[in-house]
This record gives sequence, structure tokens and C-alpha cells, in this order.
Amino acid sequence: MIGLEKHAEALRAELGKERAERLGVLSGRDIARFAVVTGQPERRDVTGAVLAPPTFLSSIMGWGAGVPDDELGGDGTATEDTRGLPLTGVRLMGAGQELEFHAAVLEGTVVVAHTSLVDVRLKEGRSGPLLLLRILRRFTTDAGTPLVTCHESFIAR
Amino acid sequence: MTDRITPYTVRTSHVRLFRFSAVTWNAHRIHYDTAYARSEGYPEVLVQSHLHGCFLANAVLAWAGEGATLRALRWTNRAIAVAGDVLTVTGTVTGAETDGAFRLVSVDLEERNQDGELCTPGHAIVAVPSVSPREVTSDG
Repeated sequence: MIGLEKHAEALRAELGKERAERLGVLSGRDIARFAVVTGQPERRDVTGAVLAPPTFLSSIMGWGAGVPDDELGGDGTATEDTRGLPLTGVRLMGAGQELEFHAAVLEGTVVVAHTSLVDVRLKEGRSGPLLLLRILRRFTTDAGTPLVTCHESFIAR
Repeated sequence: MTDRITPYTVRTSHVRLFRFSAVTWNAHRIHYDTAYARSEGYPEVLVQSHLHGCFLANAVLAWAGEGATLRALRWTNRAIAVAGDVLTVTGTVTGAETDGAFRLVSVDLEERNQDGELCTPGHAIVAVPSVSPREVTSDG
């Protein structure tokens, strides 16, 4: 429990701090691949631009090039997979999302993710101690127009 | 509109899970490395939490038909699913209200595996055109 208590203490210092990350221009190919893999039909708007499936933005774990193999943890994950939070050495599992969809997400859109930690709880689970985290990500255009709001829950052991 | 959505069934596979990890840039070995997943105490590689959410979205949108869009979706990953599992999403309409040219339909969702175990409960609000897109276009 001591290790997780230290993580909880470090995480509480992060509560409410919002970080903005420019994710770049959405690629029609990336959207189309996501649709194919998840079994969704391709959808386009009236201009012919590819429409992203609703869960596209909130499912992508990394938007950059990533890190070399020797910088990955033993489980294959990188620090950036923890939404930038100080969680080195713990296992992080997704536990669900709560999504609001504000506008259609089209290929060619420049997207910015505004991420903040909104809740940290230390709990004794059936198989040992765990941390329950809730992270808010607001996806907007670079002009600030809301696209998707995502509250995501994680379990860290 | 019926009070139950059309069931949506998908068989998971190693290839699908690998491709979902690739397209979402998720290198966690628990989703594509069986030996690693077993070392963590799981019988097989795990279906990604986000992929469960995609299946719920697919189920609602396939049932709601052309022109429907999601306004909200939430889910909880309650039990694991692994490669080879057959997952079926069912849903019950719990309410509806008018929003301009749309009906906002609320749906409680359940995704269960082939043994009937509840993997992912959820809820969606889907906007369904009150009239067909063709009718809207011709009026506009």
C-alpha cells in the first residue's frame, strides 16, 4: 500500500491542473482504419470528408511518434500512455468512459486535447490495494470549439 | 420504434485485438502477447476497454439507422473479455424526447459474453432524425 500511497500523494498534487496538447491534423486514413478495425461503416459528410466514429478521439492512446523499444516498460507501455501522469511502475487499466459528443469530427480538423486529473482515490480491493483515477479530456478544435468531452476511469495497481 | 434494440454480436480474435492496439497506438502487451497476459493471471489476451465501448456504439448506431448520431455514451468495464469470446450487445429504450428535427432516444446497454456474463454495462443517447434525411433535404 505504501507505494500506491506515494503515487496517490503525487497525483493529488496534479488535481485540477489542465494540460493542453495539440494532437495535430486528423488523417482520413487513420479514421478509416479505426472504422474498419472496429467494424463501423465509413461515413462522410456532405463535402465528402471522412467522419470519425464517435469513439475515435477518446480511444487513441498516443498521438505522437512514441518512444524507442528500450524506453518502454516491461508491460509494453510508455509514460505517455498514462496521460502524462506520474505513474511509473504501476499497472494502469481502463475502467470505462463517459462521453458527450458536441460536434461532428471530420478529417482535416486540428484537434487539441485539454487533460486534467479530476479524482484520485486509494482503495483496498479484493486482490489488494488499488488507485481509482478519473481523468477529464476535452477535445476541441484549435479555435476552441468543443468536439468531445471524455471522463475516463482508470484502475492503477 | 421498438423498446429493445437489435442485438449486435461480434466474435473477438487475436487479429482484431492486435489491429485495434495498432490503430490506437497502444503497446500494452496484455492485448496481443498471450504469454504475457497469462503471466498476469489472465487466460488469454484481453479485449481493450475502449473496444468494448466501440461495440456499444456500433450496436446503437446500427439499430438507430441512417442519419442517427450519438449525443452521449458511457460504459463501465465490469468483467474482462478475451480473444475468442463472442460478445453480444443488447439494449432497452428507456425514454425519448424531441429536440428540433431529432428524437433523442435513451438506451440502457449490456454487453455479455457467450456464457451470459455481463462484461460492459452502458448507456447511450442517440439522436434519430424525426423525418428521413431525404425529406429534410427536399424541404430545405
